[in-house]
Amino acid sequence: MVAAAERIWLGELINAFAFIGAGGHHAGRDFFGGYCCFNDVSIAIERLREVHGLRRVAILDTDAHHGDGTRDIYRDDPAVLHVCLCGSDYASSDGTKVDVAIHRLCWEAGARSDEVYLEAAEAAFAPRARTFCPDLLVWYFGFDGHRGDYGDLGLTAACYNGLVGLTLALADQVCSGRLLVVLGGGSRADLASSLIPPIIARLADAAR
Amino acid sequence: MTSERPNLMPRTGIFYHPSFSQRSYLTVGRRLAAFPDALRDLLALPQVVLFEPQPVSDELILKVHTPDLIREVAKDPL
Repeated sequence: MVAAAERIWLGELINAFAFIGAGGHHAGRDFFGGYCCFNDVSIAIERLREVHGLRRVAILDTDAHHGDGTRDIYRDDPAVLHVCLCGSDYASSDGTKVDVAIHRLCWEAGARSDEVYLEAAEAAFAPRARTFCPDLLVWYFGFDGHRGDYGDLGLTAACYNGLVGLTLALADQVCSGRLLVVLGGGSRADLASSLIPPIIARLADAAR
Repeated sequence: MTSERPNLMPRTGIFYHPSFSQRSYLTVGRRLAAFPDALRDLLALPQVVLFEPQPVSDELILKVHTPDLIREVAKDPL
């Protein structure tokens, strides 16, 4: 994660996909759980800040569960925009920490869950990211909300295809295309094999 | 594992370590069993580069986490 963020920052890459061995977004400053050990995204951010002068980062967390560790670390940090689609509904007073209660919306949407999810992600993240003007955009991509996985929100590959399109377009608009996609939750090997390569293919298309 | 292709920019990086396919995300364990083979077509693209990540220092981890957390993670049986 750190190497991916650094290579993007240094201009050696325009974007990257980072696989993981354990999760990161449930690891806070002094707690961990949910199969997360260290907050990989935060460690990468701190490296870029300290060594390379990174100022502002925007994180879209579409893992099915709340990124409580990331939120804990950056709760009082206005230089990090953290928009999380999860089970809670929240917006900080400065607008840089936002939770979207997507679970209920997807359950109510039934067969339209992909569409509802994408609309919610775009509405919550896109205008804030444009205003925030980050130096780097991070998409915390979990596929646990896919149909049949442990955080089932009724989502399909179409939703993730829409999310990679959204984050690529936003990165292009606000930070010269610098996009780091980080693998989050999701347990099924068949889904990993069918969902991850098309996302990387979209990143590669954008890098041509 | 690393297959850098200099002078082809912009590029897409894939950061993957073989250990991720052996004992990956712990809810199931081997969700990435099909990788890196599942990336074969992508790695044939000239703008795609594969990297093998290396460990970071405790000093860097301590920029984010407390010493107690590092100790507790090390003791965790998972």
